[in-house]
Amino acid sequence: MIELVHLVKRYGDLLAVNDITLTIPRGEFFAVLGPNAAGKTTTIRILAGLIKPTSGSARVAGFDVQTSPLEARRRLAYVPDFPFLYDKLTPWEFFRFTGQLFRMSEADIQSSARELIARFSLEPFLGKPIEGLSHGTRQRVAIVSALLHAPEVLVLDEPMVGLDPHHSRVLKDILKERSGRGMTVFVSTHQLSVAEEMADRIGIIHQGRLLAVGTREELRRRSGVEGALENTFLALTEEEANFAAEKIGAK
Amino acid sequence: MSSAVHRPTSPLELLVRVNALQAWRRVKAVRKQSRLLSSLIGFFVIGYVTLAFWLFCNGLRFVAKFPGFGPLLVDRLMFLLFAFLFVLLLFSNLVISYTNLFRNQEAAFLLSLPVSPQTIFRWKFLESTLLASWAFLFLIAPLLAAYGLTHHVAWHFYLATPALIALFIVLPAVAGSWVAMNVARYLDRRAFQIMAVSLALLALACAGVWWRTETVTDEMLETRVLAVLDRLLMKTRFAQFALLPSYWLSSGVLQWSEGALAAAGFFALVLLSYALFFGSLAFTRTGGLFYEAFSAVQSRGSAFWQWTWFQAWRNRRRNFTFSRGAVETVIGCLRCVPADTRALLVKDIRVFWRDTTQWGQTLVLFGLLGAYILNLRHFSQQLNNPFWVHLVSFLNLGACSLNLATLTTRFVYPQFSLEGKRLWIVGMAPLGMARVVRSKFLLACAASLLVTLGLMWLSCHMLRMPFSRTIYFAVAVTLMTTTLNGLAVGLGVLYPNFKEDNPGKIVSGFGGTFCLVLSFLYIVASVTLLAFGSPWPWARGSVSSLPLMLGCWAAFALLSALLGWLPLKLSLRRVLSFEP
Repeated sequence: MIELVHLVKRYGDLLAVNDITLTIPRGEFFAVLGPNAAGKTTTIRILAGLIKPTSGSARVAGFDVQTSPLEARRRLAYVPDFPFLYDKLTPWEFFRFTGQLFRMSEADIQSSARELIARFSLEPFLGKPIEGLSHGTRQRVAIVSALLHAPEVLVLDEPMVGLDPHHSRVLKDILKERSGRGMTVFVSTHQLSVAEEMADRIGIIHQGRLLAVGTREELRRRSGVEGALENTFLALTEEEANFAAEKIGAK
Repeated sequence: MSSAVHRPTSPLELLVRVNALQAWRRVKAVRKQSRLLSSLIGFFVIGYVTLAFWLFCNGLRFVAKFPGFGPLLVDRLMFLLFAFLFVLLLFSNLVISYTNLFRNQEAAFLLSLPVSPQTIFRWKFLESTLLASWAFLFLIAPLLAAYGLTHHVAWHFYLATPALIALFIVLPAVAGSWVAMNVARYLDRRAFQIMAVSLALLALACAGVWWRTETVTDEMLETRVLAVLDRLLMKTRFAQFALLPSYWLSSGVLQWSEGALAAAGFFALVLLSYALFFGSLAFTRTGGLFYEAFSAVQSRGSAFWQWTWFQAWRNRRRNFTFSRGAVETVIGCLRCVPADTRALLVKDIRVFWRDTTQWGQTLVLFGLLGAYILNLRHFSQQLNNPFWVHLVSFLNLGACSLNLATLTTRFVYPQFSLEGKRLWIVGMAPLGMARVVRSKFLLACAASLLVTLGLMWLSCHMLRMPFSRTIYFAVAVTLMTTTLNGLAVGLGVLYPNFKEDNPGKIVSGFGGTFCLVLSFLYIVASVTLLAFGSPWPWARGSVSSLPLMLGCWAAFALLSALLGWLPLKLSLRRVLSFEP
């Protein structure tokens, strides 16, 4: 459902994504972890079709995001870390707008939105301008608008930031249900608990490279460290940092 | 999902609808926010249109009376005006298109949705054209109405002209968006800056050569007026270059006003054919480049990174030296200022310097004024007359203050609101908000005085004024600078907006508009009072009365205190009980 093939992205002399190859099948919940400036957001932006890769390709539901962008985007939803919302619209107007952009019928918008609105407790805010909503409520609006057209692939960048514990739970439940029904979820997060609890597989990116991919157990075995995911993550990223430092020293 | 057949709305139509709804709600919000603000805006719009119409009417009548040359001069002025406005529209479209296409959150949001880049470009093109051109329409509407009135045109002139203008604005919009697209694709920020500065210098050099001063002797003015005027008019011939769209518009308007409908129709058709051709290219072709250009802007390193000298320079910069930096070293010399206030000053200076728009606009506004004042030496004939010297000196004081008022409202007024966003650091620091406000006021005054005092000294020097009069203007401009900064800082605290990050949006609220209006009224009143209270006579033989002088200065001082000191005082009181 998501295929990244030898993906490379350079910003001038900076190598942000370094030859990432990854396949995420239909219905999988995939979490990507990594330190700051590891290349997670760049990978997501390529996947969402916002920037071109320097080389390699990204495919969503079988469509290359560069050569068949509209087909890919019709099957994709993307919630960035700071989502853009039209401030002067109300949440309901915004849902209708995004639904119409995805060519949903009036009835589909109504039925799909009603269920999500109820689960994210957005009823009291439906008629209020988005500009007056709190950060967490805006985040809920963005998530509902992304889920509205029942995407085949959902890409989320730090989705839990700003959400209260109740709505974090709601989001996790919805993601689990939808991935169970075949939606592929690709989440970038610093909250290791989300990855630990939710992900079928976890990928660790560091300095643009995909260091390790696997289930929670596979990563633990690979790192050789027992305990929480945090220990696994730190061991793997430190190992890579030491390796890079040795290479520089040898040069 | 239901399989019911429905006709999906076109994405472009949806975008237009949603953004029109947003715009309408913004207008309604202004009305709801404050009746005073909407009344002020309405008053200024009507005031501008009325005043501009009256001035244009009188100006056109005055020029038309010039013996033998009147109508020719009016025509030439129209060609010149539209030529310059065309260039301004080009720049305006370039800047707004670039920002709107590549530095805009909506564009990025839409790119992740199933909306084609071509559709996004079409919407952004329409939006940029409107944003870049509305001021042009607002500016020329009273001029064209005045032109129609003074030339007793037929009623259909008022219908045909807007249509011609609507066609005309398409051309700079297409050109601006196309250049913006190619700048985004091929030039990084540094390369663009180098190219822009080189082009500006080249244009300045060309303008300098083309408009170099012509030496005209008294004898020539007496005996060969026509030859002199002909030489001067030759300098304006570029505005009648037949391939300039402004030439087609000016010709169309002028021909229509004279009833030469066939000739006017020809120019209208020329405009129509170009607008249709380039408009359809923009709508069907240019958008194809949008995605590549957008991706290039988001992916860009420096254009110079492959050069070894650049890499060496970058590596030097990467080797961080933990030094204080030049600004901190200089400000560090102010031992009498407490260390925390010095830190705030250093921060403000660095933020100002690194925000190109702030010092760029300051440079443009005061640079133009400086260039004009430097050119006063060419008016040597008129400047032997005390009346003109007097008038020009006070006009210079007014122009200098108006420039300053624009900048204090744009940059000083939003300072406190922006600081409020950073309340977690500055507001929580143990220096107290009152000291933050005071230091901002003092820094703004010091920076403004460097420019305004310099310009007023230059003005007095060019007008060959004695030292005593230079001091008079220096005192006046110092007081006015302090007042304008006090007003901007004070109102900025009294009407803060902590929701916005964008200073432009903070300024467009009630407080910013109120600040601009008060500043302008203060300048008009002050310059009038200072001119009437001047100890130097307006004409040879006339005597200024002492009570009038003292009265005017007292009124000026009182007004300055009321608009400068009072808002500052109130703001300092307000920050004591400040709750963001």
